[in-house]
Amino acid sequence: MKNFKNGFIKENPVFCLYLGMCSTLALSTNLNNALGMGICVTVVLVLSNAIISLIRNITPDEIRIPVYIVVIATLVSVVELLVHAFIPSLFDALGAFLSLIVVNCIILGRAEAFAKKNPVLPSIIDGLGMGLGYTFAIVLISMIREFLSTAWVSLYNPFNMSQLIIRVGIPQLSKYTISLFSSSVGAFLTFACIAALFAFINNKSKEGKK
Amino acid sequence: MKKTIRLAAFLGVVAAISGLLLGFVNSITEPIIEAKALEEEKANLQIMYPNGEFEIVDYNDADGVVISVFKANGTDYVFKATATGYNSSTPIIALVGIDSKGTITNVIALQQQETNGIGTKVFDKENINSLYVGKATIDDIDMLSGATFTSSAMKTIMTNVFEALSEIK
Repeated sequence: MKNFKNGFIKENPVFCLYLGMCSTLALSTNLNNALGMGICVTVVLVLSNAIISLIRNITPDEIRIPVYIVVIATLVSVVELLVHAFIPSLFDALGAFLSLIVVNCIILGRAEAFAKKNPVLPSIIDGLGMGLGYTFAIVLISMIREFLSTAWVSLYNPFNMSQLIIRVGIPQLSKYTISLFSSSVGAFLTFACIAALFAFINNKSKEGKK
Repeated sequence: MKKTIRLAAFLGVVAAISGLLLGFVNSITEPIIEAKALEEEKANLQIMYPNGEFEIVDYNDADGVVISVFKANGTDYVFKATATGYNSSTPIIALVGIDSKGTITNVIALQQQETNGIGTKVFDKENINSLYVGKATIDDIDMLSGATFTSSAMKTIMTNVFEALSEIK
């Protein structure tokens, strides 16, 4: 449970460990893409942690990195094929970033830092916590960016893009949108502010303990 | 030495398992992905062959001109190809239909933003008919005077389409 909670606040992979930022910044333009990417990363992370933890005793130490890469790349390709087949709209939106999950440092980072030393169940929980932490981060950034640049936050049915699931916003603000936030500059600004907030919270809780 | 072989064997086994898994997943998803791709193009293909039956033909163009190839009604081919004409920001995308004898039956521009009244003349019905329809080799295809950029782009498309056709057949 502690590992699971760690992924959110204290060791949030994006805001505190600064891992996997490339995809976080690029795909947080709207909620749909962010949620899709978050779920894909979580699935890959949980499965890769589970498999790497399963084979941790038979994997020779010298070639553990290539083995991890093969495992992760296989999982990413499987997820990519499934998304391409069943959720084509998400596949088009994520583009190259879907296959680039392979080099998302969160996944290799957790394999190396956690899964190779721990049994299967804690590894799965760690993967789930970190994956949801990543999802939480990318969704949070995407909601702020989408709201500031369009005054709305909308979620569509990924299987049928014309079907709107939920849409909240303040229509009165639609005249005062800041389109800057839909570009990459907005991603950096949003990210920096949230990361600073997280650093503040973590420092404060450390001081409290002293 | 012995250890190196053991390590290589381990990695080999891991890679083999992953290959098997990928092959299995691909065998499930490939037909679905193909059907979806065909569904997307179907509206365009129907312009050429109303109520036709289509299937995707596997073809990879090294030049990137021919985007995709479809077999229509079991005998004819439809090529989707792209080339840049006068407007460098919006390339021309065209469908070229070729019948079983290898002659062009129809050409449709799916996307083109050529100069109005100059380049766009290439896509007029009578010019399509006189320039392309009925032609079976690239040497038979003429340029339209006054619309050099657009006709050369179309010629690039045709060259690659004929190349693709000879490879597929």
